Amino acid sequence: MTAPTLATVSEKVRAGERLNAADALALFLEADILSIGQLANGVREKRHGNAAFFNKNMRLEVTNVCVASCLFCSFAKLEAHMPGAHTMSLAEAWHELEVRMDDPPGEIHVVNGLHPGLPFSYYEDLLSGFKRIKSDVHLKCFTAVEIHFFAQHYKMTVREVLERLVAAGLGSLPGGGAEIFAPEVRTRISDDKATGAEWLEVHRVAHAMGLKTNATMLYGHIETFEHRIDHLLQLRALQDETGGFQAFIPLAFHPDGNGMKNLPAPTAIDDLRTLSISRLVLDNFDHIKAYWVSSTPKIAQIALRFGADDLDGTIVHETIYHAAGSTSPQGLAYGELVRLIREAGRTPIERDTLYNIVREFAPNEVPEAAMKVRDRKANRHLAVVS
Amino acid sequence: MMAPLRVAAVSYLNALPLTAGLAQKSGVVLTEALPSEVARRLAEGEADVALLPVVAAAVLGDVAFLRGAAIGCMGAVESVLLLAECNPGEITELALDLASRTSVILARLLLKVRYGVEPKLVGLESAEAIAFVRGTRAAVVIGDLALEVSERFPRRLDLGAEWFSWTGLPFVFAAWCTYPQRVTAAQEALFHDARIEGLGARSALAERFSAASGLVRERVDTYLHTSIRYEFGVAEQAGLQRFFDESALHGFLPQAQVRLLDVERHRPSTPPNLDGILSRAAEGARLSVSDGERLFHEASLFDLGLAADMVRRRKHPQDVVTFIVDRNVNYTNVCTTSCRFCAFYRPVGHPEGYVLSREVLGQKLQEVVDAGGVQILLQGGLNPELPLTWYEDLFRWMKSTFRLGLHALSPEEILHLAALEHLSVRVVLERLRAAGLDSVPGGGAEILVDRVRRHIAKTKCRSDDWLGVMRTAHQMGLRSSCTMMYGTVDTPRERVLHLAKLRELQDETGGFTAFFCWDYQYEKGVRLAPGENGTLTYLRTQALARLMLDNIDHVGASWVTQGPGVGQVALRFGADDFGSVMFEENVVSSAGTSFRMNAATMEERIHAAGFKAVRRNVRYDWLTEPV
Repeated sequence: MTAPTLATVSEKVRAGERLNAADALALFLEADILSIGQLANGVREKRHGNAAFFNKNMRLEVTNVCVASCLFCSFAKLEAHMPGAHTMSLAEAWHELEVRMDDPPGEIHVVNGLHPGLPFSYYEDLLSGFKRIKSDVHLKCFTAVEIHFFAQHYKMTVREVLERLVAAGLGSLPGGGAEIFAPEVRTRISDDKATGAEWLEVHRVAHAMGLKTNATMLYGHIETFEHRIDHLLQLRALQDETGGFQAFIPLAFHPDGNGMKNLPAPTAIDDLRTLSISRLVLDNFDHIKAYWVSSTPKIAQIALRFGADDLDGTIVHETIYHAAGSTSPQGLAYGELVRLIREAGRTPIERDTLYNIVREFAPNEVPEAAMKVRDRKANRHLAVVS
Repeated sequence: MMAPLRVAAVSYLNALPLTAGLAQKSGVVLTEALPSEVARRLAEGEADVALLPVVAAAVLGDVAFLRGAAIGCMGAVESVLLLAECNPGEITELALDLASRTSVILARLLLKVRYGVEPKLVGLESAEAIAFVRGTRAAVVIGDLALEVSERFPRRLDLGAEWFSWTGLPFVFAAWCTYPQRVTAAQEALFHDARIEGLGARSALAERFSAASGLVRERVDTYLHTSIRYEFGVAEQAGLQRFFDESALHGFLPQAQVRLLDVERHRPSTPPNLDGILSRAAEGARLSVSDGERLFHEASLFDLGLAADMVRRRKHPQDVVTFIVDRNVNYTNVCTTSCRFCAFYRPVGHPEGYVLSREVLGQKLQEVVDAGGVQILLQGGLNPELPLTWYEDLFRWMKSTFRLGLHALSPEEILHLAALEHLSVRVVLERLRAAGLDSVPGGGAEILVDRVRRHIAKTKCRSDDWLGVMRTAHQMGLRSSCTMMYGTVDTPRERVLHLAKLRELQDETGGFTAFFCWDYQYEKGVRLAPGENGTLTYLRTQALARLMLDNIDHVGASWVTQGPGVGQVALRFGADDFGSVMFEENVVSSAGTSFRMNAATMEERIHAAGFKAVRRNVRYDWLTEPV
């Protein structure tokens, strides 16, 4: 059998056939990024038409104290007494929501360090406190790495951890902590936290309980294309089994201030390529998300034409990527997100965490560049009122 | 009451039979101008109907021809001549009359097809063109001047006769053109009436013209009655279509169709399909303004990108992306122009106004030398306190102290110096070159459509002035870049018109090295609101520019305004150059955009986009081996 080429892969995609590892590798090695993007865009438009999803969410990192020592992380402070280490009191964390109650987020996305000194009740109280303030807020909290840590640290099964958190208000799991599953990479960049298999197992349990989750991949450090492909194929296999993943979010490695600071960051072309290939390989994932914090809003706009159908949300106050040198803003105004999507020629759809439609905007029928003056005015108006 | 119909026409003798009667019609405002200006007025919406040189109709691509009337010939025409001392096959340089693009393309076509020569072109005013003819240098001369001077030259080709002996068809120089929905059936009838009246009055017109010009009355009479034909029937349309086809075949004009105005339906027949335009574009064929506009509106991001990438690959098959190590130095921020989009300038007397001292400049230049840089890009505001001698001294000092190329002073600054010193542009450029100027940056072009320029910068030079400085610089052998800043009040059509103007000048001079574009960088507090500034619009616009500018070698990605990521992606949308490493760039960064890249990260991004990297100089010569 001959090695796959762009042409043979295109043929498979058009015929709706599943891509294998060799196909994906051919795409990673192909210089013609536009043809790959066009292929991914075709798949994306078949699934979602012109829609581009976003939500009104709030990122919160309540503690950066962490027992893990991931090489790529510029956020964690290993011990609670170290300079810059910070753990919010429950009142401080709840306050973040209370002050935004005149225009509240629909989702709170909490990601933390693995803090060894907090009681499990801290997390339960954190969630139930948010629910007390706003009963319908969706709590998308704690990566599989945190859940796995809770299980070990508080001597429970993963299922017990999840059940107690669900009882406290947990709505779904975010996709972080996946990094790269392959052990030869993972042991070198994050040896002392959940393994790839353990990460997948947490999601398997969550899915069995009816929780929806997301998945990520941290690329662009010491891994090879084969490692990325292996990661995607493992996600695809679990999704075949459970169907519980909603979105896949490729995350670019940012080198500032961490243990891999001498590595170059992946470039925009690599970002777009990885995103497009994810769309093509993950044929059983509904959504591919361009996380604008990682890629910058400008590249996220292009990504909406290279396979992505979701821009995440307003986020408000991101600190993990910013600790690693991200130059993106820490949050985007609602109207600003709508404008980004419209400028990319897509129809903005505000969704909730589970992809129920919250607000549908007028279809953006004008081709991507040719926005009419009146649309621009409408957008500017939006940016002002929100 | 209906608004009067604005009609633009050439003022030549041969147009009089079509226009004389029209001037008296009520509801018609007739203005007369040179052919290129007539074309500009129709293109930029200042006229509803124009007696349009046919090449302008092809370049625009979407105009419709009124039936029945045109200016043409069947055989010898007498007023469109190629004058030479040598045989046509020996011509090496051709002065062309700037006012007449149709005659120029006809001459180039005939010389190429019938005599096998493609002479170097030199754009000159008519009078200069005549003086230019010597040895193997020839000139195309048209209009009344041609009638007057033809006998002084030993060799003259009557282009109408040449065309006829080649094709056996009539030739059409100009015809009434319009856009759909601008002319009612009743108004179209006025043109027929005027033609009939004008043809009947030819003897009277000849008499008046002969009295005014001193030309022999019989000669003028014969010219109007016999040499020029005013028909636009099936034969003329076939001749015109043949001219369009041959010109497109040889790359002189976009592929164009002769489309008649159908007053009933108010629209010309079906425009060409999008795929057809795209495949012609990818093959490197010349596109019309209408083709460009349609691509901008209708082609997908990928269609545009892939076509532009294909053109880039054909022009630069080595898969190399170049960049330059240079520094942008803004010698003064004092400026009298007060452009509404500019956050950098300070008015005269403002406490934040500055002029860089020799010490500061010297330090900046030394840093460039130390970093392996090859050039200084020197630009500034229009500071009335700096005379030409200040620049001459500065340039001499810079060139004698540092081994750096001097890419300096955009057209606006040259014009400012010319006005300040009461000198011609040519003299200013000659003195600056003598002092060390190596090349001219293409900034300040913005959009070369005066409607836009008036809106964003009232006191800025007009489009033709900007192009005129570049023409002069190119004629002197100075190379320049060219640019486009879009996204203020400009329409997609105006962007394409801008590109068409650059392409037209490049046909004439070949002096542009590269094209860069970027969107207006809005900053709070500046008086001009932001326009349509999406990232995708940038990629589409750059790709479209690569497709329109078939005669400009290089297209650069403006990472300074778009960010390194978008800049890198733009390398797959038709760009073959990554611009400059950035020491500093004050104008854009005062508008809040600030990105930095050094040579190593530039090379890294070029590699990651699938190209080899090469350092270049201002002429795009390679200074390093591809890595």
